[in-house]
Amino acid sequence: MIQSFTRIPVMGTLRLLALAAIVTLAMPFAAARAASPAEDFVQNNVQKGLVILNDGGSKEQKREEFRNFLLKLTDLKRIADYTLGPVRNSTSPADLAAFEEAFREYAFAVYESEFTKYSGQTLKVTGSIERKAGDYLVSTVLVDPNKPNDRDPIRVDFRILGTPGHFTVADIIVLGLDLAITEQDDFSSFLAQNNNSVKALIAELKQRAANVRAGGDLSGK
Amino acid sequence: MRGIASLFVMCAGLLLAGCATDPTGANDPYENTNRAVFDFNQKVDKYALEPTARAYVAVVPDPARQGIHNFLLNLDLPVTFANDLLQGEMDRAGDTLGRFTVNSTLGIGGLLDPASDFGIPYHKEDFGQTLGTWGVGEGPYIVLPFLGPDPPRDATGQVVDIFLDPTTYIPIREHFWWSAGRKSLAIIDVRSRNLDTVENIERGSVDYYASVRSLYRQLRNNEIRNGRPDVKNLPDL
Repeated sequence: MIQSFTRIPVMGTLRLLALAAIVTLAMPFAAARAASPAEDFVQNNVQKGLVILNDGGSKEQKREEFRNFLLKLTDLKRIADYTLGPVRNSTSPADLAAFEEAFREYAFAVYESEFTKYSGQTLKVTGSIERKAGDYLVSTVLVDPNKPNDRDPIRVDFRILGTPGHFTVADIIVLGLDLAITEQDDFSSFLAQNNNSVKALIAELKQRAANVRAGGDLSGK
Repeated sequence: MRGIASLFVMCAGLLLAGCATDPTGANDPYENTNRAVFDFNQKVDKYALEPTARAYVAVVPDPARQGIHNFLLNLDLPVTFANDLLQGEMDRAGDTLGRFTVNSTLGIGGLLDPASDFGIPYHKEDFGQTLGTWGVGEGPYIVLPFLGPDPPRDATGQVVDIFLDPTTYIPIREHFWWSAGRKSLAIIDVRSRNLDTVENIERGSVDYYASVRSLYRQLRNNEIRNGRPDVKNLPDL
C-alpha cells in the first residue's frame, strides 16, 4: 500500500480516477483551439458542462441538468458493457439491462459526489489523433487557476467515438490512468470474488448510488 | 539491509514466476497471499502511516514540507540521470543534470526549486522503468509487507538503483540510519500529499485491492512511456 501510492503523482490529481471525470467534463477551455471536429466536440461540450456547474439553480435542478448532459455526451451503455469484461458474454439480456441501469445510476452518483470539488480549473486542447475511422483521442491539459505558470500540468485524454454530429465520449484517461480499464479491473475482480454474479454487482452499485443520494459517500457503508 | 531484503524477494519472485500459473488473466497467481499482505499493509497505513502523515501536515508548516519535498526529489536525480542515460534519453538526461545542478546550488542543496522557474521540467526514472523500456515484462503481481506492490521487474530495479545512487558510496558511519531516515521521510512526504487521493480511491472501488493493482500497473506503464498515451492499445470499447 505504501509503495503503491509513492508512485501516484503527488498533486491530489486523481482524487478518485472515476471522479476525475467531473473535474474534466466540467471544465472550461483555456484557449479556443479546435483543429478537428473531435477537438471541437470536446471543447464545446465541456463548456456546456461548465455552464451547468456555474448555474445558480437549486442542487436538484443542477443534478437533473448534469444528468441529462451526461446522458447526451457519453455512451454509458457502451462503457457499462465494457466494464463487465468477459462475464458480459454469459449475462442474460435482462441482467445486462439491469446492470446498464445500475451502472448509469452509479456513474451519476460518482459525478454528483464530486460536484462541490470543482474549483475553477480549465482545460486546454493540445491535439488529437484519429486512431481509425470514427475513433479519436483528444488530448488536453488541466490548468489550475492557482498555478497559472504550472509547467507540468495534468494531462487528460478523451476517447471520442462516432462521426461529426454523432460523437460521444467513450473513455477518459487521466495521467495515463484509463477510467474504463480501471472500472473493468475493479468490477471483474468483484465478480470473481462473487461467483461471477452480475446480480451481486448490480446490488453493490445500487447500494453505493443510494448512499450518495442519501447524502453519504461512495463507499456504500 | 534493504538491498539484501529486496534482492532476496526479487530472486524468490523470479523463481516463483517460473512456475506460476494464472487462470484469471490478471497475472496475479498469488492473489490470496497478496490480499492477505494487502490487508496487513492497510492496517499499517490506518494505524501508523496515515496518522503520522496527518500529524506531519498539522505540525510542519507548508513551506518546510515543500522544502523537504524538494530536497527528497533532488536526492533522487542522480538515479534518474543514470537511468535516462541507460534508456538513451539524452534530452531528458540533460534536463535532469540541469535540474540537479541548479537546485543543488541556487536551490540551497535542493531545498528550493529554481529549476522549475527556469523551465527545466522534473521527471523521475528508475531501473524498473529502464527494464520496461528494454522490453522486460513486469512479472507476476506481488505485494510485499510494508512496501506494497513490487513485482519482480520493479523489485530488481530497486536493487539496481541502490547501486546507481551515489549516496550509497558516501563513507559515513551512520549510513544505515541515513538511508532509513531518508526512505521514511520520503514515504511520509508522499503519503501526506495523497491523503485525499488514497481515501477517494478506496471509497470509490468495489474491490479496493483490484483497483490498486490496476492503478499500479497503469501508472508504471505510463511512467515507462514517459507519459505518452498508449494509442495502439486502448481498450476495445
